[in-house]
Amino acid sequence: MTSSEPLLRIDGLHIAFGARDRWRDVVRGVDLRVEAGEVVGLVGESGSGKSLTALSIMRLLPPGARVSSGRLIFDGVDLLALREPAMNTLRGRDIAMIFQDPLTALNPAIPVGRQIFDSIRTHQPLSRKAAQARVEELLDLVGIAHPKERARAYAHELSGGMRQRVMTALAVSSHPKLLIADEPTTALDVTVQAQVMDMLDRIRRELGIAVLFISHNLDLIAQICDRVSVMYAGRVVESGAVEAVFDEPEHPYTRQLLRCIPRLDGGTGKMPTIPGLPPRFGTVLTGCAFAPRCESAQERCAGKEPPIRRAFGHVSVCWEGMA
Amino acid sequence: MLSLFLRRAGFSLLSLLLVSFVLFVLTRSIPDSPAHIVLGDEATDAQIAQFDHDHGLDRPILVQYGVWLQRLVFHADLGQSFTTGLQMNTQIGQTLPVTLELVTVAFAVSVVISLVLGTASAVLRDSPIDYGARLIAVLGVSIPGFWLALVLILAFAVDREWFPPGGVSPLSDGWQDHLLSIALPCFCLGAFYMAVLTRMTRSSLLDVLGLDYMRTARASGLHPARVLIYALRNALVPVVTIAGVSFGHMFGWALIIEQVFNINGLSHALLVAIQARDYALVQAVVMVFTLVFVCANLCADLLNATLNPRLASAPA
Amino acid sequence: MRRIVNSCGGAAGFIGACLVFGLVLVALGAPWIAPYDPLHVSIENQLQEPGGAFLFGTDQSGRDVLSRVIWGTRASIEVSAFAVLIGLVFGVSLGLVAGFYRGGWLEQLTMRFLDAIAAIPILIWAIALVGIFGVGDTKLGGITLGNEAKLMILLGLLYIPTLARVTYTTALSESQANYVLARRLQGTSGVRIMFSDVLPNCLSPVIVQGTLLLAIGIIIEASVSFVGLGVQPPTPSWGNMLADARNYLLSGEWWLSVFPGAAISVTVIGFNLLGDGLRDRLDPRHATASLTT
Repeated sequence: MTSSEPLLRIDGLHIAFGARDRWRDVVRGVDLRVEAGEVVGLVGESGSGKSLTALSIMRLLPPGARVSSGRLIFDGVDLLALREPAMNTLRGRDIAMIFQDPLTALNPAIPVGRQIFDSIRTHQPLSRKAAQARVEELLDLVGIAHPKERARAYAHELSGGMRQRVMTALAVSSHPKLLIADEPTTALDVTVQAQVMDMLDRIRRELGIAVLFISHNLDLIAQICDRVSVMYAGRVVESGAVEAVFDEPEHPYTRQLLRCIPRLDGGTGKMPTIPGLPPRFGTVLTGCAFAPRCESAQERCAGKEPPIRRAFGHVSVCWEGMA
Repeated sequence: MLSLFLRRAGFSLLSLLLVSFVLFVLTRSIPDSPAHIVLGDEATDAQIAQFDHDHGLDRPILVQYGVWLQRLVFHADLGQSFTTGLQMNTQIGQTLPVTLELVTVAFAVSVVISLVLGTASAVLRDSPIDYGARLIAVLGVSIPGFWLALVLILAFAVDREWFPPGGVSPLSDGWQDHLLSIALPCFCLGAFYMAVLTRMTRSSLLDVLGLDYMRTARASGLHPARVLIYALRNALVPVVTIAGVSFGHMFGWALIIEQVFNINGLSHALLVAIQARDYALVQAVVMVFTLVFVCANLCADLLNATLNPRLASAPA
Repeated sequence: MRRIVNSCGGAAGFIGACLVFGLVLVALGAPWIAPYDPLHVSIENQLQEPGGAFLFGTDQSGRDVLSRVIWGTRASIEVSAFAVLIGLVFGVSLGLVAGFYRGGWLEQLTMRFLDAIAAIPILIWAIALVGIFGVGDTKLGGITLGNEAKLMILLGLLYIPTLARVTYTTALSESQANYVLARRLQGTSGVRIMFSDVLPNCLSPVIVQGTLLLAIGIIIEASVSFVGLGVQPPTPSWGNMLADARNYLLSGEWWLSVFPGAAISVTVIGFNLLGDGLRDRLDPRHATASLTT
């Protein structure tokens, strides 16, 4: 690995929800790195803030949410300092995103091929014919049979797996450097899931795209990611190489999470869970947010911010084993 | 798409037939029969019977209807009025174009303004433009057109004489005068529907802008103009439907506006017919209204199916 | 206080409710509020400008415009309210039965027939039918129907398709809900279920639609009276007052037009605001058909 700047660098990202004078932080200091060409996973429960983090990279936060502090550096450019037109140029061309539900994410009134066509023509100086040809190439690339006919189809005429492929084609149509995949397979059947995962992996290798892969499914993360960050209640609690984090988890949350995955050789009996519920969206938190549910919680966890521990690229935020 | 269109057209045709039949029966069953009107109260039964026979009014009602329908469909002839003896085609033919022009101009201007205003209002939400547009919309919806007409005549045609207070100056007298003479009537006619369509456009666009596929469009880095078009392709569907309905309704309100401005349009024909108890003409005029209304709705459906092809495969 | 405002669906709805309430009071209290007899003719006082003894001026027969406007509230609200009442009674029953009993082709036919009637704007129907049945009193059996009464009945009948359709749509989906099935399994009779379980759930959109029809009724009554087919003079109605005012437009007696029309506008604004407010409160998914969404 080079010691040059990573492709994407997030430092101390805070995202707040609210209106006018009353804002509450829901993402509370996220650090993240994605190097060119690597696949980084972002794991967490619903409400942990992973989707918001992703949307903030694209500067597509929903109304009522805003970045309250932090830095987002992409390819050396400070994203938060960009004017909107400049940011819009980056979108689709350098950074792209695919979303969870491909049916609602595609425009129902416009043929899918046309949606890809419009994106291509926005970012690339191609003629109509050339762009149309490129659309068919892309559909073929993502594994859609009969691309010429399928391009004229509408989103509701395609199956879930095909729609996700179309979304991927749309996202990679202008060769972005970074692809953010926000739970791309959650809405799909398990069998289709596997196919789409294979397709994603193949595409990113062929095109050399870095991927930020967001999911709550640890298996998928293990399948495709090089590194992973684990989020809880708006913070990254552990991050490192996938093997390191999954084989030797250092944060109790990660450990307990991994234990919850049912295994064929795990014997029978009561399935392990993590007791309790994650903190409610927007509550003010002190100390370690996981403390109430943590099996290794100490007295100081609830009150004092746990320190960041680093060792060989493996980071965790916990009091455990500290003096 | 063809099957949907045929089904809608079929239903519209059925509506037309039904309405025409109901009206036909009504106009020919009231005690105030054409014979009485023409021959007067002193007419003997024999005279009445003769009159009825001469005009084919003594045949069974279904037969009469059949004859009327046949004449209408194959010869486009609305027949002759029993009381005045005039050809109704001519009477309507003279007055329909005036009303048609009024409504078409008012409609076109309303639609354009409301699309622009409604879109701006939604895109620039909570800005002064938005508040202004919403205020205008509430006023437009609540102030009755004919009162607006009276007030505007008072303010601009009597006090200031910028516009003529009534009548329509024919095109042959110069297009400037013509435009000035239809300006106030068209404004009063269109104000209500402009308000309605503005509100509809605004709320529909706001709904669409918050949907997932708009987020995808922005994530693809499309130009803001194209993002707006992506939204409008979906948001305009209910607006087009309402616009189609509005066109027909405007025809109805033209009745009143024409009276205020003393315009010799279809309303004049209708009200004169009512006063003269010329019920055949009343029926004919209402038929024309229905026809216009049905056609406008069909066009709206057609436009919607082109705009948003998913509707083409959905059931009516 | 806050609860009352909220139950009207917000500030706008509350203002609407106040306006409507005020207008009803004016209509009821006309004999006591009006300073003069609205029918009292005094030629020597004709066409007086507003001010002094006659706050809104006088018309061409010397009648006080203010008193006539106050009494006109009665005509408008009466016609509108009764029409909506008739429409509610028959329309809701029809829609309820059609939606609950699912009469197969009869249900379809009825609904199509009602849609066909609704295909023509109410105004045109009103004018045409009043025109056909004639202006002035009609004798039906032993009862004499004045023009106002005829208009009420006619409008009421014309409201039936809309109210039936709104009830029908809700009744249809509610009838298939699990709680209805549960009641049927309990052995409750169909009629009981229909009235005690399905009907209450249909009321929200019906109330909203009814309020909006009240607003439309005011305008239609005024319009029909304006062309001489509604409330007949000398009984004051805002519509026929405007008809008279037309003759004095060019000679500058502006008060004859402005005041009655303002009354109409205020009334309609009131009903519209109330209807919008109620809709926000009762019917958040906008299930009702309306032009003014």
